[in-house]
Amino acid sequence: MAIPIESSPPPGWEREGIDGLLGLFPPGRLSEIVGPRSSGSSSLLLALIARITTSGSQGGGQVAFVDGMDALDPASAATAGADLSALLWVKCGGRLRVGLSAADLLVRCPGFALVVLDLDELGPMPASAHVRLQRAVEGTDTILITRSARHREGSPASLILATRRLAPHWMGLRPLTRLAGLRSEVSIFRSRSSHASREGRWTLDWTL
Amino acid sequence: MTRIACLLIMNEPAGNEPAGNEPARPALLQVALAHSPRVEDAGAGLIYLDASGLEGLFGDESRLAARLRDAAAAVDVEIRVGIAESRIAALAAARLGSGVTIVERGGDAAYLAPAPLSLLDLPEETATRLSRWGLRTLGELAALPTAGLFERLGGDGVRLQRLGRGEDPRPLVSWRPGPLFEESAALEWGIETLEPVVERLRELAARVCARLGAAGLAADGFEWTCRLGDGRAHEGALTPAVPITDADSVGGLLRLALEARPPRGVVEALTFRARPVRFAPAQESLTDRSRPAPRLLTATLNRLVALVGADAIGAPALLDTHRPDAVVLAGYSSEPSAPRRDSRPPIPLKGVSQHPPSPLGGEGRVRGDTLALRRLRPAPPASVTMASGRPVAVRSARLAGRIVAGVGPWRVSGEWWSPHPWLQDEWDVELADGTLCRLAHDGSAWRLEGIYD
Repeated sequence: MAIPIESSPPPGWEREGIDGLLGLFPPGRLSEIVGPRSSGSSSLLLALIARITTSGSQGGGQVAFVDGMDALDPASAATAGADLSALLWVKCGGRLRVGLSAADLLVRCPGFALVVLDLDELGPMPASAHVRLQRAVEGTDTILITRSARHREGSPASLILATRRLAPHWMGLRPLTRLAGLRSEVSIFRSRSSHASREGRWTLDWTL
Repeated sequence: MTRIACLLIMNEPAGNEPAGNEPARPALLQVALAHSPRVEDAGAGLIYLDASGLEGLFGDESRLAARLRDAAAAVDVEIRVGIAESRIAALAAARLGSGVTIVERGGDAAYLAPAPLSLLDLPEETATRLSRWGLRTLGELAALPTAGLFERLGGDGVRLQRLGRGEDPRPLVSWRPGPLFEESAALEWGIETLEPVVERLRELAARVCARLGAAGLAADGFEWTCRLGDGRAHEGALTPAVPITDADSVGGLLRLALEARPPRGVVEALTFRARPVRFAPAQESLTDRSRPAPRLLTATLNRLVALVGADAIGAPALLDTHRPDAVVLAGYSSEPSAPRRDSRPPIPLKGVSQHPPSPLGGEGRVRGDTLALRRLRPAPPASVTMASGRPVAVRSARLAGRIVAGVGPWRVSGEWWSPHPWLQDEWDVELADGTLCRLAHDGSAWRLEGIYD
């Protein structure tokens, strides 16, 4: 039987797509995304936020985004499909302690499906703060994710994903005309969760 | 015989203003209610009151009208007063007269006869029809044969004719002020420390919340006033994220607000009031995700406001412009939002609890979503080296390096018609260390707008 060419995915692409990767984040646990600049870590976060805020028949879950460096671009989030009305954005103005306190408050308010603490270059966060957040989120349905540029040894996170840039995509030949996207790699740095594989490596193509 | 007084607000934009938008009307309604037990709020700067049987209290009708004008002037409202036996005649007296106009008893029809038809606030179609018949005044309408008018305009025609004759059988629709949810306490001794003030205000708040609950209402705003020993007043207000009626939540919010801005002086009296709203709790769905409970969310948001400031928290909302980073923070609510207008279907989430571990087996090449831009706020100035019209190196406070690839310039501009036009040329560049960033040049200087991540 002939298969329409539109329904045939490119070789190597999985039907589950990025959802399989995003499903690794365990509720009630602290997870961590670590990656340098332009490694796709923020894009990974926005993809997760988009899925959580738009799932469900009457609107999705609520997401709190504690923005350590005030770097969130809501236009990117909207383009990724996020429902901005379900997103609580807390801007911390580059103050690490404020960000930690805000995340602590939000984790202790049941009902948020996802709490993100985006520290970027403010991190790594103190070990005591890690433990405090891990304890606060235990027993809840909230996914707690911290994102930082560098990993700190001794983190109690159940899942640590590391992102790495591979190559940008450009449109046009010489001269180049537009930036089309970025290829990055996500790997499981550490997994203590029974839900996720212990090892894994994904290549992701992010489009602009 | 009934006597009706019409109060017409003169220093308000009467007519096209929607009801409730006139700041003077509530005050004038209170003035009217202080003079008569039956008051009708007719909207658009008009208030009627039953002036029958008030002679014993205020004297004759001219004295009553003068009193009404003086009382209105005391609340900065200029009015005209018309008194007649019917609403329409009282309205005509107020509109066509000056100051105070009193139509003598039994004289409504005669007074209305020269009044224009526009007084009836006719539908456009009817007004056009009457105009084609050559009618200009209420007297001409009143003189038409009733049967013929009924044949042509139906029941409305007869009703309009009766109005033209000063016959208005509709009774006044009484207006009653809403219940006042306010509690006050005078303190026997002045209080200098914060804690007793908080406790006394919490007691008042609990009483107000109990009354709200008994009335099936919630409040979307609370205000309090502390009268200080030196005669000054300390005022405060709080607005919860969702309407609430829970005394503990209100008490907690009160404590936070008073600790952030305590009264400066000896407190001698306290007043606490709530702004009531009818709040229907939403029915939760079994298939939807859980949401933060209003009480906990309100407390959390207020603590966050105390932590980061009110202008640093909210739900982002994109402005209807192409200007880069045009976003505002709107009020955040955990209530379900209205269905999105775009046709994009909800993206299913394969949650951990719903499906087994990744079927990829931990390996694979998958299609990602949108490449995110991380904004730098404020965008730091950058020093850019150009060669052959293209940037080849960048140096800023956040990053520096040689540019190995770049595309641009892409010009974005807008609002050239306004006093604040904007224009910038954007470049997407890749540095030698692999960083992808966006540079912008506004004609005079370079900025580092953001980093793709």
